[in-house]
Amino acid sequence: MNDRYDSVILHFIARVVMAPLIIVFGLYVLLHGELSPGGGFQAGAIVAAALLLVRLALGNRQAALRIPQGLLIWLACIGLGIYMFGGILPLILGANFLDYAPIPVEWYNQFAGEHRTPRAMGILIIEVGVFLGVVAVLVLIYDLIAGSSRQ
Amino acid sequence: MKLLMLAFLAGLVALLVWASADLPDRADPDAPANQHLSPELTRMTESEVVIPNLVSAILADFRSYDTLGETFVIFTAGLAVLLVLQRSRRVPEEDGDE
Repeated sequence: MNDRYDSVILHFIARVVMAPLIIVFGLYVLLHGELSPGGGFQAGAIVAAALLLVRLALGNRQAALRIPQGLLIWLACIGLGIYMFGGILPLILGANFLDYAPIPVEWYNQFAGEHRTPRAMGILIIEVGVFLGVVAVLVLIYDLIAGSSRQ
Repeated sequence: MKLLMLAFLAGLVALLVWASADLPDRADPDAPANQHLSPELTRMTESEVVIPNLVSAILADFRSYDTLGETFVIFTAGLAVLLVLQRSRRVPEEDGDE
């Protein structure tokens, strides 16, 4: 469906310049979700845009080989699993489902030198889960519709 | 008929514009919509969640069940596309092999 464009400049710009920048910006949006506008959904869409840019520039067949379809499905499941983990962990520690208050954060604050409250930690956990799910599902849908990532 | 529809639409626009004059300003703390839950959520974000982004606090903490459902919706959408498109592509291939 989408053939490879034989342009060295396009390949270089898409793969070496644009895609890493977009991915770094997406991770910034993810990790600063509590501080600035952003969050899991937005960061997932941004990183998926970078992966789809590489697919558009290099052609589906070549780019899709890097991320096999099974891995995408696993990533979506892992993202949902991380979200459920963020909900069940407080349940184990004696609070309600998705009530982040008892999540231990002292080790993280000592390790990273931050002053993160348990609730901010819980928000970060589920944002990572949402991020993985959104990236995997968006790229999976594109690959399936473009018909390039055969198993 | 067309003229009647235009007159009706003009009347509707006039009604909405006239009604919008009575709407409170955006982010007005005294507006009725901001009286019920907003002060409580703002206070809890400052005292318990302690993050500057009120939207993230509401989305991922106070309404995290809702966000869990949204994530399930996205996941289910991906699974549905996977099931529909994968089957429709595999059946002709198997026919071709036989």
